[in-house]
Amino acid sequence: MTRRKFVRKLAGAGLTIVAGASWFLKKAAPRKFIRAVGFKKYHGSVRPLGDISKQGKWSG
Amino acid sequence: MKVQCELCPKLCLIEPGQSGECRVRINIDGVLRTVVYGYPCSIHIDPVEKKPLFHFLPGSSILSIATVGCNLHCKNCQNWEISQANPEDGTVPAYNCPPERLIAEANKYQCPSIAYTYTDPIVYYEYTYDSAKLAHEAGMRNVLVTAGYVNEQPWKKLLQHVDAANIDLKAMTEDFYRQVCSATLKPVQNALILARASEILVEVTNLVIPTLNDEPEQLRELASWIKMNLGADTPLHFSGFYPRYQMRNLPATSLRTLEKARKIAMDEGLNYVYIGNVASKEGQNTYCPACKNLLIERSGYTILKNRLRQGRCPDCGKEIYGVWR
Repeated sequence: MTRRKFVRKLAGAGLTIVAGASWFLKKAAPRKFIRAVGFKKYHGSVRPLGDISKQGKWSG
Repeated sequence: MKVQCELCPKLCLIEPGQSGECRVRINIDGVLRTVVYGYPCSIHIDPVEKKPLFHFLPGSSILSIATVGCNLHCKNCQNWEISQANPEDGTVPAYNCPPERLIAEANKYQCPSIAYTYTDPIVYYEYTYDSAKLAHEAGMRNVLVTAGYVNEQPWKKLLQHVDAANIDLKAMTEDFYRQVCSATLKPVQNALILARASEILVEVTNLVIPTLNDEPEQLRELASWIKMNLGADTPLHFSGFYPRYQMRNLPATSLRTLEKARKIAMDEGLNYVYIGNVASKEGQNTYCPACKNLLIERSGYTILKNRLRQGRCPDCGKEIYGVWR
């Protein structure tokens, strides 16, 4: 193998490694959110809204 | 795929199927979802003084809501049954009340404003934001009662639709915030400064807990920080602690301690300092900072007398900080 071929192969391998690493990092990085998306169904129990005119028992 | 919630300074990294620390923001298939949008667990009509807000439409009723969940885990939480609950537990039922219905309910009961309160409106951010926007369009006002543990960008966005806020400043040390609340102090101070700068009405609450944050030096530092950063006119409420949740080993705060705290804060130069959670005559009233005459007399959440005229002292004409109509 000539020196030129060797350098070409080395550069190609280096590029592949860099591209692979950046693809992996992109995949591994978490997706970032501030605003969350609504969920149609409530996970817990739901009851009908009754008389709300009474003062709340909670602080605040 | 993991998601990261950038709403509050906790910046939770959430695995698929798991929730953030607040319990209500969940990673479902690589998308952050809020499971409480439109599902308040508590909805009541309260006097605005209960928030507490003493300089905002005194004597008015306020539609008050909360969903389950909180990004803080204060060991002394007074509302831990809802703030530390999971929706899936089934222990706390919710109501189906999307923003449009919320506004309709406020209209029905002739409430001029809506409070996002009881737990922390930051964890039901999207529901708060959409409801507040809609309420503004309907000519209503919005109030937040919050610990102020939120990142700058979402906070600034939310403040555009807020008229008043009562923000907790729980103590002046990082140690207290870490050990008692599993949070940090700096973001709260930043949220307070941003809120005041946005020109909404800001009132501050400090829950005085015996042996943890009731030292005169700590109270002085707190009052001084408020004066320097938020202004002398910012109302401060010293609230009495009651043994609750994971902090049942400490006694309730005495009236004497709260009165001392009030005196310290007033000596530091704050103009409006109140006492809450404990019956106090002077500590519930508003006095003119210039001529010292009584302006608003309160008993509990009831207004006995309101002498303000167009937001001014009727005796000396001083303008009083607040939203009065």
